[in-house]
Order: sequence, then C-alpha cells, then structure tokens
Amino acid sequence: MSATVNPDRVLKELADLWVTLGKENGEGGAGILRACTMTLVVAAETGDDWSALGETVAALMPEHPARTISIRLCGSGERALSERVYSQCWMPFGQRRQICCEQVELTASDSALLDLPPVVRPLAVPDLPLILWCRSPRLLAMPEFKSMASMAQKVIIDSEGMPLKDVPRVAPQGVLLGDLAWTRLTRWRETLSQVFENKENLAKLPALKKLAVSHVRSQTNTAAYLAGWVSTVIPGIETAVTPTESCDSLCARLTGDGLEVQLERQQDRLAVTVNGQTHYTSLSMFTDYLLMREELSIVQRDPVFERVLARFSSGSQH
Amino acid sequence: MPVENPFQDPLRFERQVPECVVVIFGANGDLTKRKLMPALYRLAYDRRLSAGFAVVGVSRTPLSDDQFREKMLDAVKHFSEDTTFDESVWKTFAEGLFYVAGDIGDNDLYQRLASRLTEIEDARHTGGSVMFYLSTQPSQYAAAALGLGSAGLGKGNGWRRLVVEKPFGHDLASAKELSGKLHQVFDESEVYRIDHYLGKETVQNILAFRFGNGIFEPLWNRRYVNHVQITAAESIGVEGRGAYYQEAGALADMIQNHMLQVMSTIAMEPSASFGATSVRDERSKLLRSILHMSPDDIRCNSVPGQYGPARIGGQDVPGFRQEPGVDPNSQTNTFAAVTFFVENWRWAGVPFYLRSGKRLPKRVTEIAIHFNPAPLAMFAGEDAERSPNLLILRIQPEEGISMKFLSKRPGSGMNLRPVSMDFNYGSSFGERSPSAYETLLLDAMIGDATLYTRQDMVEASWAAVEPIQNVWRGTRYDFPNYAAGTWGPAASDEMLARRGHVWRKP
Repeated sequence: MSATVNPDRVLKELADLWVTLGKENGEGGAGILRACTMTLVVAAETGDDWSALGETVAALMPEHPARTISIRLCGSGERALSERVYSQCWMPFGQRRQICCEQVELTASDSALLDLPPVVRPLAVPDLPLILWCRSPRLLAMPEFKSMASMAQKVIIDSEGMPLKDVPRVAPQGVLLGDLAWTRLTRWRETLSQVFENKENLAKLPALKKLAVSHVRSQTNTAAYLAGWVSTVIPGIETAVTPTESCDSLCARLTGDGLEVQLERQQDRLAVTVNGQTHYTSLSMFTDYLLMREELSIVQRDPVFERVLARFSSGSQH
Repeated sequence: MPVENPFQDPLRFERQVPECVVVIFGANGDLTKRKLMPALYRLAYDRRLSAGFAVVGVSRTPLSDDQFREKMLDAVKHFSEDTTFDESVWKTFAEGLFYVAGDIGDNDLYQRLASRLTEIEDARHTGGSVMFYLSTQPSQYAAAALGLGSAGLGKGNGWRRLVVEKPFGHDLASAKELSGKLHQVFDESEVYRIDHYLGKETVQNILAFRFGNGIFEPLWNRRYVNHVQITAAESIGVEGRGAYYQEAGALADMIQNHMLQVMSTIAMEPSASFGATSVRDERSKLLRSILHMSPDDIRCNSVPGQYGPARIGGQDVPGFRQEPGVDPNSQTNTFAAVTFFVENWRWAGVPFYLRSGKRLPKRVTEIAIHFNPAPLAMFAGEDAERSPNLLILRIQPEEGISMKFLSKRPGSGMNLRPVSMDFNYGSSFGERSPSAYETLLLDAMIGDATLYTRQDMVEASWAAVEPIQNVWRGTRYDFPNYAAGTWGPAASDEMLARRGHVWRKP
C-alpha cells in the first residue's frame, strides 16, 4: 500500500472524472448535472459496514449533494495512506439527466492520521462547509481527532456508548457539534411540543411535576437528552431515567395536576396519549440516513441543543 | 401561565398547525377530493396537524359522518400523488372528520353548523379556532359569508379565517362588491384569497433567488433587462368545463390572477422583511404601477385567440367551438397575450409579455428574462442579438432555473456558441416538494398570509385587466385564429415583432 497521497493528483483525477462522465453521457444522453452543497468527510473503521455506509451516503446525495471524502481507518500497523477517486451518479425518477457527485476514498493507518488534514483541506470544495461525520469512537478518543475536527464547520458523532459529560469537549472551539443521539429525539420532541400547542394543555404546563423516561440500553444518551431537554423547559421538574427492556426503544411519561402525557414508540409509529386519549403519528425507524439527513440540514448554531448539552458539561444533570 | 409553547424548536421542528377546525363548503366537490383532502391528509402524515384537528365537510348531499369519511378515504387513496397511505394515520385523521348537510342559502344550515362546531370544540379541545374554506361556486361566496355572520360564526373563542378560491369577481366592480360582502362578516386580515400559483415551490423560490442573493438584484432593472416573457401554456383543452370557461376566458382565468401575481413577484421591490404585510405591500405597489392602457394601446398590445380544430399526434382534436357546452359562435378567448408596462423607475419602458392559452403545444409555465446584449460585438461571427443572455425561471413541469450565456466553442478560433446552465429544483434536491395546497393550507392555518392575495391586489389586477376585457368584449374577432397544438395566433408573434422581439418556444 502506498504511503503518500498527492492532493493535486486527486484533484486532477476528479476533473478527469467529469470529462469522462460527460463523454459517456454525451452520445444520446441528456448530459450530467454537477451539484454540490458541501464537503462531507466520513471517517469510519475498516471493519464498519462500508457497503451500508456507501448506500447511506448515496441516499443523502440527492438532498445534500456533496463531494464526499471517505476515510477508511485501518488501525495500527504499517504506515499507510492511499486514495481512489470515483463518482456516485443517479438518475432522478422521471428525469433524463444524471446527477453525479464526487467521491474520494482515503485509507489511513493510525500513524498517518496526522497527514490527513493537509490532504483533505485542498480536496475540500472551496467556499462550502466541510462536515466531518466521525463514526469511530476509537478515533474520537485519539489526540489526532482534534486536528481533523478543526478543519470542519461541523462535527457529527453518535455519542451512544460514551459518557455524556465528554460530548461537549468533542468539537474544538468554534466548530459546531451534532450528536445523532440527540437527533433521534427530534420527532419525539416535536410530538411532545405539539401537545402544548393546545392552549388548555399549555396552561397546565407549570403543574407538571414528574418526567419518567424508560429506555433500552442502546438509547441511554438519547433518554438522558430527553430528560435534560424537558428540564430546561420546565425547571425543577423531577426526572427519572431508567433502563428497561419492556418498551420499544423509548417511553416517556409526563405527569402533573390535571395532565398526563405519554409517548411511546410502537413499531413505526408514535403513540401519544394525553389524559387517556391516544392518537398515532408515523415514526420511521431511525436509520443513519434519516439522522444524517437532518444533521446535514443544520450548519448553524443549535441553541436548544447547546442549552441541553451545557447541563451535562456542568454536571448539573443526572 | 405560559403564553408561548416553550417546547418549540423552530430550527428542527416543522411548522405545525395549532388546534383548529377547517370547515369546507363544497365538501363533495372536485377540489375537495382532488386537492384539499389529500393535502390535509399529507399534513397529518407529516405530523403537522395537532391531535384535536378536525374537518367539517359541508355540502347539500345528505351524508353521515361515516359516509363522508368513506368518501374522503377514497379521495385520499386515489388522488394522493406521492404519499404512502398509512392506515393508522388515516384512522386518527378520520376521527376528526365530520359532515353537515345543507344548502348554502338556508339559514338553518349555519345554526346546525354552529352546534356541531361547539360539540367539536368541547370534544376535541380546538379552542374555538375555525377556518372556513369556500370551495363552492363563486356566486355562493357572499351567501356563505353572510350566512356564517348571521349565525355568529364570524367570531368565536379562537381565531376565525375565511379562505376563498378565485375568481375574485369577474371585473373590478364585482370584485369590490364581493369584498364588501365578505367584510360585513370578516375583517380583511381574516380573508385569505388563495392563488395556488403562489404556493408553488418555484414561485416562492423566485423570492429566495432575487432577495437571498446579491448578484442578481443589480441587474434587475431597465438598464440590463431588455424584456420579460411569462408563459403559462396548457396542452389540454377545456376538458368538459366548456360552459364555465366560456364565461371566463384566458384573460380572466389566468392573466388577471395567476400571471399578474407571478409578474408582481418577479418585478416587485425588495420588501423590508419577509412578513406578510411587507411582501404583500410590495406586490400590491407593483400591481398598482402597471400602466392602464387606452383602447388604442390595447389593440396594439394585446391579442385574444381561440383554438380551432387540428390533428395532433394522429388524433383529431376539436376546436373550442366544437367542445360540449360551448356556443358555436363563441367569442371566448382561449388564448390571451398582453404587453404590460410598469410605470416605475426600475421598469419604465421594459415590456412584460404575458401569454396564456389552452391547446398550446405543451404544458409549461415559465418566466424568461431577456437581458440586453453586450454593448459591443467584439467577436467575429458573434450573434449576441440572436442569442441574448437569458434567465429562465421554470415553474412547471420541471421546476428550476436556467441561465443561457455565450461561451467559446472548443478549438482554434474564437467562435462562440450559446450554452445553458441548469439548476433543476426537483433533481438537485431529491426531497419531495409539498404541493401548493399543502403549503397554502398550512400557511392559512398558521396565520401566514404572505402567499395570499389581498383585496387591494385583486383590485389593482382588475384595474389593469378590465380595460382590455372591455375592448375585447366590444370587438368581434374572426375566431378561431390558431390551430390546436400551435403557439397561438400569428398576431401574438406580430405584437412582439413590433418591438423587435420573438416569443421564446419553451
């Protein structure tokens, strides 16, 4: 395996790629369309499911067309750094023209990690945000991660499995942070919020006394975020977060004088019970695609998340 | 007690409808089945509606709540174009569907409706907020509004809103008269005049394009823009609506409302904010700046047309006069082309060519902004006059933006050729765009009137169009003057040729 990558050569390969694609589509085809809204850097271990990851990235492209730089982390061992360039194209339904996005795949051993930023920086699309999606908890814990993260406008992680108190320190100063453990909550939070669009329920909000969240082990941080979020909205509310295997992912119950609200996932829908009256809304099973789709839409400060995260960094929660 | 919902997170949450009831008059009609109910169901599917949300259908046909639900279920299954049908979402949604039978002219209907609304308010905690949607014959708008007023339904515990479909009158006087009647019950701020063109994603994108970018606005004036063409073409005929269409025509049916609204979006001044009042003030100002033409000017700057029979794609297509329900000597315009001028500093002297017609070669709606050629033709063989810079804003069928400019042809020698740079909205962003009715219903229920037409805008549009209508009505035309499947009468091409312009063939 080669141990060097020349960014100029990669850029030339990218340019050649478009010429080739153009020629392929030139005869009889309606041409290709080049779209780009960001540079998406995806860092994942070699042992990750790269086939599924490829499908996720491909699915994200129609809504978030990007130059994607995939970093395959091959662990310790001989120093290695190599690259390959290819394109991801799709034909939108009912259209005649292909849309293509560029993909660069870098393979790096641990000892080559510090060489990555000087390679990635020139490959990033100028004037557009660079988003780093780090899927490797091992990389997050390595000192080299900071130099990679500092290239980005936003770093996206999934904090499940790591202590929440460590999450605020993941992104360097000035870099936005997204946590898929928080993103999993959006539809839940939205549905809970909807309950309080009703003026009668809103009037009873100060009377809410207790929040009980039960969760499966794989959603420990998501459950803690939910409790943290409700606590920022209703200061002083008593919260209890308990692991369980009896509910389907997450179950939340808010109680107080004259109002009881329960949210519970039932397969692909969310059951919302307000004072004994239940209604259902659709709630797709969370996939990396759905979560990333939302996170990539937000390249700006997220004040609600920051407020909740601050509770964990100060240690006031739990 | 909190006044605002502290759980809101606008960055991540979709806009949501507060608890309310939508009352649809004309609940058995085509619009309800094809557009309104599928749009409301989609909003439910997307979790935009609150738990207590309810719909009350009103129509003459006697139906029980359950029968109404069955009918609406069929409509949703049949007419939802890109929405997965979800049994559990439908079940919850259908629990909020109710029906009241009665005649719009019958006062008793409104008393029964009032009782039903009280029951729903108690059972579903809707807080008394009600939106009345008039999906009826325009002749019934005033009667419905006055009926609601007489039963005290114009006011309630929550907000009250009235949504009306076009046409808003058939001339300036009738538009004013209709508004006068609606205002007896509803304040202007409570009246939402729907123009579904304004709900289309690309029409909204015009605002984003113009005012979200700094590079286009400096060019957006008489110094750089040579002329503007707005085309709304339909390939179909009147499709069984001959009797209705005969009374309206392309000028009143399309240009007076949809197309002038689009033109106002293209030509308006930047508003101070994206608030409903600011945006609508600017649109209104633009419409009021349209030059009102004298009869002589109208004869030079407008062309009515009517399609005659033709053979298209191996099929014989009837002319308008051969359509069922149409007078064989009809003088109705199925095609209208008008040159408008805007009397303000930005647009003085720039022609805005608007055309709309039925049985044209294809279904397309687009805005083409033709820029002035470069002041000096410095390249040999360059034909900038023939190939001016063009900015095309496509509204349908493929929403998007194209820019046409000259580029050097590869190879030796400085030969130029026009190239087109396309941004296709639907394929650049793969996400499903909401239908115009989803957008507009959601806006109305939230109370955002930005995309709705205000009375002063309606009146300004009629003031510009009515003189044309009067001249056309007072003239006997030798119809048909274009064959189905063509781009309209030759006089329409001549209208542009007089200023050295040519209609773009979309």
